[in-house]
Amino acid sequence: MSGDRVGIIGIGQSNFRSRRDDASYPDLVREAVVPAMLDAKLDFDAIDAVVYSLSPDAMVGIGNAERLGVDAVGGRNKRFLRINTGGATGISSVTAAYYHIASGVCDVVLTAGADKVGECGDSQTVLNKIWDPTYERALPLGTINMLAMSAVRYMRRYGMTEEDMAYIAVKNRRQASLNLRAHLRKVVTIEEVMESRVISWPIKLMDCCPQSSGGAAMVLASERFIRDNKLDAVWITGVACRAETYWMGDRMGNNPTAEHADAYALGRSFEQSYRMAGITDPANQVHIAELYAPFSNTEYHAIDAARLVGKPGDSIQRTRDGEFELGGRLPVNPSGGTLCTNAIAVTAMARVAETALQVWGRAGAHQVDGARVGIASGNGGDHQIFGTMVIEA
Amino acid sequence: MAYRIRPAVVGCAIRPAITGRDRSLEEIIYDISQAALADAGLTIDDIDGIVVGCNDQFDGRAISVMMASGPVGGVDRDIMSTPSSSEHAFILGALRVASGQFRTQLVVAWSPTEASSMSEAQRLGADPYFHRALPLDELSAHALQASALNHVWPNAWVFAETVAVKNRRHAAVAWPSPPARPAAGKARWPLTDRLTTEPTTGAVAMVLAGETFIAEHGCENPAWLRGMGWATEAAFLGDRDLATAPALVEAARQAYAEAGVTDPTATFDVVEITDATPYSELIAYDALGLSPRSEIAARMASGWFARGGRLPVNLSGGVITFNPVFCTGMIRIAEIATQIRGRAGAHQVDGARLGLAHAGSGFAMQYQSAIVLGAAP
Repeated sequence: MSGDRVGIIGIGQSNFRSRRDDASYPDLVREAVVPAMLDAKLDFDAIDAVVYSLSPDAMVGIGNAERLGVDAVGGRNKRFLRINTGGATGISSVTAAYYHIASGVCDVVLTAGADKVGECGDSQTVLNKIWDPTYERALPLGTINMLAMSAVRYMRRYGMTEEDMAYIAVKNRRQASLNLRAHLRKVVTIEEVMESRVISWPIKLMDCCPQSSGGAAMVLASERFIRDNKLDAVWITGVACRAETYWMGDRMGNNPTAEHADAYALGRSFEQSYRMAGITDPANQVHIAELYAPFSNTEYHAIDAARLVGKPGDSIQRTRDGEFELGGRLPVNPSGGTLCTNAIAVTAMARVAETALQVWGRAGAHQVDGARVGIASGNGGDHQIFGTMVIEA
Repeated sequence: MAYRIRPAVVGCAIRPAITGRDRSLEEIIYDISQAALADAGLTIDDIDGIVVGCNDQFDGRAISVMMASGPVGGVDRDIMSTPSSSEHAFILGALRVASGQFRTQLVVAWSPTEASSMSEAQRLGADPYFHRALPLDELSAHALQASALNHVWPNAWVFAETVAVKNRRHAAVAWPSPPARPAAGKARWPLTDRLTTEPTTGAVAMVLAGETFIAEHGCENPAWLRGMGWATEAAFLGDRDLATAPALVEAARQAYAEAGVTDPTATFDVVEITDATPYSELIAYDALGLSPRSEIAARMASGWFARGGRLPVNLSGGVITFNPVFCTGMIRIAEIATQIRGRAGAHQVDGARLGLAHAGSGFAMQYQSAIVLGAAP
């Protein structure tokens, strides 16, 4: 692959908040695009293509809202398309941008988007519409009770407790307190999490991600372009996506196609991206992980699926031991992760961006010392479509 | 720039008018995917990745790819979706094969008509402050475009009528037993109902593969991707000169540069244009460099763009014949692939070696793509 790699040369992110009444939807996109372009030290003329990152249209209340973002990304008369894989959209968009370059068609590609989840009215009402209208929509399912069912199964299989879940919230909030861009930055205690109101047992308010507004953007380029223009970059060395069944019932029956406690397709996706990057022992070769986990319990099965521990469920004890904290052996979500910031259209892009900043040594107060190899993931749909990436300095 | 691996279309299935109500959308998507695989002589086990083009508003779902991932074979596979347009799914699929990291891709798009009002579903795509209240739907935007063209080219309306007649005649050959006879669409001045067609439910799928896979599996008559361009206009109609299509000019520039096409007026054996209205076809002639406006009158009169003419356009009958709104763009690409593969049936152009597909979508064709497919790699 030498000489044919794809690098990340620019990153821009909003300071995520509950509401951004001061900025229209395209304004939020632009807010991320400008710093990404400045970071890449490029003019818009250098951009060969744009991949637009936007998950459900209903979240911003505009059908095909990417059309209104064309000018915000400088897309007029340029190659432009939009990706939507639900919560995985952000990492899928970076992946699509990657293929624009890996194909040999483009040298420099911008990927960008924004969301206004905090201003959508009620995201769970929108997200209920992801399920089949005849069978599962009426339960009524939402993404919280969907993953509460996963938590219950994970507890039963592996012995996770409500305190174990609370610990993830405490860890990630503490890490987010160091990240100026994170939405929820207030440090909390185990007791506070345990006492917060139950949303869908065992998930409590503080086990939940917020509804965030903000944007993210990244500029990718070919190795040839990066070398010719003497640009600084970090490299995407592994990339993959895998999906599992749409039907919740198929993950929880007597013979599930994939057990809902675990993240089967996330594991499959990591397998593929590790193979591509030549990583055989992720627990020892990976230095930092930004794993998409919108509810505290899901960080455990994400760590399992990324094979950062020996076998599923080992993540519980290893987390209790502090291995995955900032300052620990292999920090997970040093930015605070999805649990502290969730602007759905770009959340998974933020995972990639934060991983890139870490291996670049530019993460700021939440920098992981000596990080050279990082991984990122995104989950979309009803815990159905997963994207993964390996990023190296 | 050159593709690392040259992609080709090795299987196609086109169903532009699905009638009857005995198949759910999932079953329609399953059927079209299986039909494309059968046309390629492959099974889902040969497919490395999938890209679908689907639209949440038309499908009545949020994140429509979720429902589709089973029927297209997406479980335990790499699947993506491009809700911007159906043709973008083809483009991303082609880029993935061209990267050399996938041997094959299945690309699928569909467009149901179950929404209680297609017009209202489209109106949700207008910006909420200015355009939505007009009210704007895609047909109204096409009408504004037609009006703009009539303004700068006073005879355009005459040629638009001629284009409509031509494409309907082509349909009579292409569809001797049509699956449906859609009613005339709604009129929006200056579009009369003769120039528009009621939407149909439709679906389309293609199998893409790279050179090595094609050689190893002996795929017959691949339609090789020779050039591919895509670009977008701005969203606000007021920011555009609707009589022109600069994004299509740019898309054509990209595609022709890759394909080495220097004189598009005399290069292609067959062309498919997304005639959302006949005016869209006229604008595309110009933007694709297929004919100077000054010669349109003489060429129309001589049957230049008709069956048997020098540059046959829309032998499938085009969108005016069947209008499955969201997948019309990918259908144009599949039609050209089918022509190059020699499998177009009644409307096959003998010995078609090089073809051009134009895909346009959105309000007054905001998204524009040009795809050149050839019999030789």
